[in-house]
Amino acid sequence: MDREEKRQAVHFIVCMAALAVLLLSSRDWLLGITFSVLIVGTLLINLTMRKNRIHLVEWFVGEFEREGVRFPGWGSACLATGVLILAAYMMQPAGIAAGLVVLGIGDGLSTLVGRRGSHILPWNRKKTAEGTLAFFAGSLVAWVFVGPLSVPLAALAALGESLDLGVDDNLVIPVVCTIVLSVL
Amino acid sequence: MAGALLKNDLNGTLNMDALTRAAMGINSPALTAVSLLLDNDVFFAVLILAIILLAERRNDKRLKIISAIALAFIAGFALKDIYAIQRPCSGLGCPAGYSFPSLHAVTAFTLMVAFLDKREYPLFLVFALFVAFTRLHLGFHTFEDIAGALPVAILSYHIVDSRWKYG
Repeated sequence: MDREEKRQAVHFIVCMAALAVLLLSSRDWLLGITFSVLIVGTLLINLTMRKNRIHLVEWFVGEFEREGVRFPGWGSACLATGVLILAAYMMQPAGIAAGLVVLGIGDGLSTLVGRRGSHILPWNRKKTAEGTLAFFAGSLVAWVFVGPLSVPLAALAALGESLDLGVDDNLVIPVVCTIVLSVL
Repeated sequence: MAGALLKNDLNGTLNMDALTRAAMGINSPALTAVSLLLDNDVFFAVLILAIILLAERRNDKRLKIISAIALAFIAGFALKDIYAIQRPCSGLGCPAGYSFPSLHAVTAFTLMVAFLDKREYPLFLVFALFVAFTRLHLGFHTFEDIAGALPVAILSYHIVDSRWKYG
């Protein structure tokens, strides 16, 4: 596995862990855990940015972080924020679960398939049609939680992910999921 | 005063999380006094501005922080109306408007995020958590309102920061 594949594996595991917390306990627990992780995470990020050596963070960043990110732990912070958006802004557990599937499976598949794709999207030169289709297909697993609503959810989340908004995908996708499931 | 205005006490119908209940259950006149002081919108706005002016020397960064707080505040205000969740308190002393997300927490968290790369960050983190805690202590918000404030702050600062650098 290369770094991006390992990164997507962690991404998937985190989202599935969040899903497990939601299904086995409650939304309150998911809110509390995600909020705490984010608070502690920002403290670790700050310490690392201030040139403190934290071996766990160094190992994690070395193994999983993308090159050229804004600060060490950027990807993890965005993912935790994305999960918190879903947990806080969707009132129904089924909606949160569907959002976690889209974020964990759809986005993960999109990256893994997309980087091997050859058909560049006309509106975003950094993404491929194969990646967007993989996102859509992977997100349909949300059918388990929201039924037919998963089709427009997957389509609109795939569209949102494919746009170059200058905002991290892990933040854009939960916002799109929340809006789509709240409106529909 | 804390806890005295609770709807929970009045009709027993409100479902509140354990953390919110624990924060409201603390019987400390000093904590309540400080909480009420921070609840004052004018005092809180002046305090936030003073912190920005004292903690950041660069005018450009000051403007960026104020812009991020303004965006977060507008987003938080809009979300309050969209979600229309009633406050856990009611009656005299309970602030007007909806509960979710807490605008005090949104503001404090945005300030915190803006200083993520600074040596003083732990102080900003403690300040933000304390402001959030006072909202729970007074019974004006639940933990859900606080948790909902954090992503608004992060997203708002991220949006302003990306446009500031590359816009």
